[in-house]
Amino acid sequence: MLSREDLEDILEVAQKGGDFAEIFLEQKEVTRIGCEADKIERVISGHEQGAGIRVLRGEHTAYGHTNELSKDSLIKLARQVGRAARENPVSSVLLEHREPSVSLVVGQRPDEVEIDGKVALVRAANEAARNVDNKLVRQVTVSYGDVIQQVMIASTEGTYVKDERIRSRLAVNVVAAEGDVIQTGFEAAGGTEGLELYQKEAPWELGRRAARRALLMLNARRAPAGRMAVVLAGEAGGTMIHEACGHGLEADLVQKKLSVYAGKKGEQVASELVTVIDDGTLPGKYGSYRFDDEGNPAQRTILIEKGVLCSYMYDRVTANRDGASPTGNGRRESFQNRPIPRMSNTYLAPGDTPPDEIIRETKAGLLVRKMGGGQVNTTNGDFVFEVAEGYLIEDGEVTIPVRGATLTGNGPEVLKQIDLVGRDLGFAIGTCGKDGQGVSVSDAQPTIRIPELIVGGILEKEGDRD
Amino acid sequence: MNNKARLDERELVTVAVAEAKQGGAEMAEAFFACSEELVVEVRNGEVETLKMAREEGIGIRVIRRGCLGFAYTSNLNWAVVKKTIEAALANVRTATKDPYNTLPEAPIRYPEPDLEDPALKEISLEEKIEKAREIERAGRAYDPRVQLTERASYEDSHYLVTIANSRGVLASYRGSFCGGYAVLVAGAGGEQQTGFGLQFTRKFAELNPVAIGREAAFKAVRMLGARRLETRRVPVVFDPYVITSFLGIIASALTAEAVQKGRSLFAGKAGKMVAAQGVTIVDDATLAGGLLSAPFDGEGVPCQRTVLIDRGRLQGFLYNTYTAAKDGVASTGNAARDSFKSPPELGCTNFYLVPGEASRDEIIKETERGLYLTEVMGMHTANPISGDFSVGAAGIWIERGELTKPVRGMVIAGNIMELLELIDAVGSDLRFFIGKGAPTVRVASLTLSG
Repeated sequence: MLSREDLEDILEVAQKGGDFAEIFLEQKEVTRIGCEADKIERVISGHEQGAGIRVLRGEHTAYGHTNELSKDSLIKLARQVGRAARENPVSSVLLEHREPSVSLVVGQRPDEVEIDGKVALVRAANEAARNVDNKLVRQVTVSYGDVIQQVMIASTEGTYVKDERIRSRLAVNVVAAEGDVIQTGFEAAGGTEGLELYQKEAPWELGRRAARRALLMLNARRAPAGRMAVVLAGEAGGTMIHEACGHGLEADLVQKKLSVYAGKKGEQVASELVTVIDDGTLPGKYGSYRFDDEGNPAQRTILIEKGVLCSYMYDRVTANRDGASPTGNGRRESFQNRPIPRMSNTYLAPGDTPPDEIIRETKAGLLVRKMGGGQVNTTNGDFVFEVAEGYLIEDGEVTIPVRGATLTGNGPEVLKQIDLVGRDLGFAIGTCGKDGQGVSVSDAQPTIRIPELIVGGILEKEGDRD
Repeated sequence: MNNKARLDERELVTVAVAEAKQGGAEMAEAFFACSEELVVEVRNGEVETLKMAREEGIGIRVIRRGCLGFAYTSNLNWAVVKKTIEAALANVRTATKDPYNTLPEAPIRYPEPDLEDPALKEISLEEKIEKAREIERAGRAYDPRVQLTERASYEDSHYLVTIANSRGVLASYRGSFCGGYAVLVAGAGGEQQTGFGLQFTRKFAELNPVAIGREAAFKAVRMLGARRLETRRVPVVFDPYVITSFLGIIASALTAEAVQKGRSLFAGKAGKMVAAQGVTIVDDATLAGGLLSAPFDGEGVPCQRTVLIDRGRLQGFLYNTYTAAKDGVASTGNAARDSFKSPPELGCTNFYLVPGEASRDEIIKETERGLYLTEVMGMHTANPISGDFSVGAAGIWIERGELTKPVRGMVIAGNIMELLELIDAVGSDLRFFIGKGAPTVRVASLTLSG
């Protein structure tokens, strides 16, 4: 990659166009393995490289990127992007190297493991899933991926960061069928780790869990329809909290007044039992990093404490606008995108109620043991999330499994309603999409109870009402 | 050969294929793609973000002893491309042997669709920025309650695709498109609702910024005051955008890959009725003006029009070269490839529900009570394998054939096969949203939870 002096020269050219200029250089080595129908169908290696230059002038952002990493082509790009932001007097740029305060240690680097070793992990997950029930399991898809991303970030404010990020992921999708009924089960593990991840999250265990879920759903009834109490188990993951308040606390949406949480700093926005934290420093988690994509160190930010809104998640632009400090949440998918405020690892902090007690105290409702994907409209606060594994609760007991339901609610209303918070905590990983950019995140919550959510199930007959 | 660090793309793919053959590949393919993109976002009349982007790269696919290997790079320096070819050959080693792995032969000829607007490159940046401003102005002027811009943007893209394989394929094409997108926020009494409008077209002259802005504004304003209704089972009239999102689930189930791998809802149903009489679904890569039209697919097979469901009856499936070899049929030219970073997958092109006779207003008028569904949330959670869906729903309540009050915060649920069978009206207002399109349709009965 380029030297520090090269970067200073490029930034000086870009700076002519604005108040702030930044360059983000990236090189990425990618391995992907796909297995389906008992075959290793895809073994893919990729090399990606590129640089993005950002020039800010007032509220205006100009962004350009290229695959070519020569100094000449970057000077050309700097000139182009700078021009898009207009002319400015020049001052010299001095870069100062920044050391990470967070340490993320990788045990077994993906580039030190032969492809055969990775294929073996994929095969183990595939076989374990099929062995759960050779007759009913109709299809197993396993996908493995690892990424080694080298970044260099430099700006006219003197930021100069070099970093290496390593991420691994393995996902299993199982299709089970019996008669006319087809159901699926999904499990995934991922982290900012190398292959040591699979010592904690054994691929065969992921395969087995996915297959068991698919089989369980074969015998599940369609979920009921209408309003009811919902208990989200700690092991269910944190999709609900990610959608119900995470996105709405991203400062860009707040400042544009596109969030129901805009202008509510210091106000009680949730039940006193609710404390929400975004923490990019958690070792090994899928949403962790040493530096964000603007070169600011990752940090732990309390977003909501005992129901009171304390902070939003900021990148550089939004922090400046609010007179706040960046919270290390400026992230981007790749050099092709400008950074925007994003979540890292977001969780609802545990309380002190034993999880069993929460179920026992619920007369009737739905228990969610695994959540799937979700979505939110931050402007009105409505959100949805998918139930991948659910059960009815009858008289404080978990009874029959139910399938195929999405739950919906309104973020601020639901946060105020939460009336029981367990002492457990379970994480799940995901790729979060915003403005066309996908970034790796994780989210978590303890077992909690929401007295009333809408369950999107099925009524059998026309005109039926609840 | 190696004295030149950088080759032109036709040379590059040709040389890459030769190199892979020399390295031991029985068959080899090189796929080059390059794109240039411009995105302008404005807010309150000012340019907020201006993005200019250029991306290129090459993907190498090799077959050796029946096994497949793939590697890609965005660094086109010949030394790096050579390493990428070596990586593809090395990846073959751990892949599973499959007798149907093969590449297509060169065809006699390719169709020559009109994909490029030569005017687009001549138009100044300022004129393009003005399009984005017009979108915002038209939306904000529509109604005083439209108070915020979430997004008002203009974008365009130019691309070049070049492919070569060891069986004689060597072809390329250029294309371009442009579009506008608006998300506007209407507010009243402390409540805020959003609406969106969009248009993508091959021709700059066809872009209508005023219509985009007004559509977003109209949709935002009509949702003000939306409430939740009680749970019930009712007829649902789907707006074209919403039914188009459901087509995405159907598309994957209509691929031969899903059938061969035992994960298609349509497996074993060829020749049978799978939908209501009014339902005809077509995939057409030759469609004039279609955003996904092309002369050839992701592996160099000529593109075509394929009728998948004809008046409710399942006609067949979409094929690429691999799945066609396995079933002993011809490829339908549906090897989809949206980047050089992946080997071709099976996918649809311009995929749409063929329009019927009735106008949207006639369909609503014939609906005694029901929901006019205009927005869904969490569509990606619908399960294309089981066909089960349960998604957030918002729209307008229909009472005695009239649109009455807005509704939101509800969930609509069912199964996609049931939905296809229950379609009892198909509108004449076909509209495309990039690669997929549909007219207004009515489904006789679905569960609405609230």
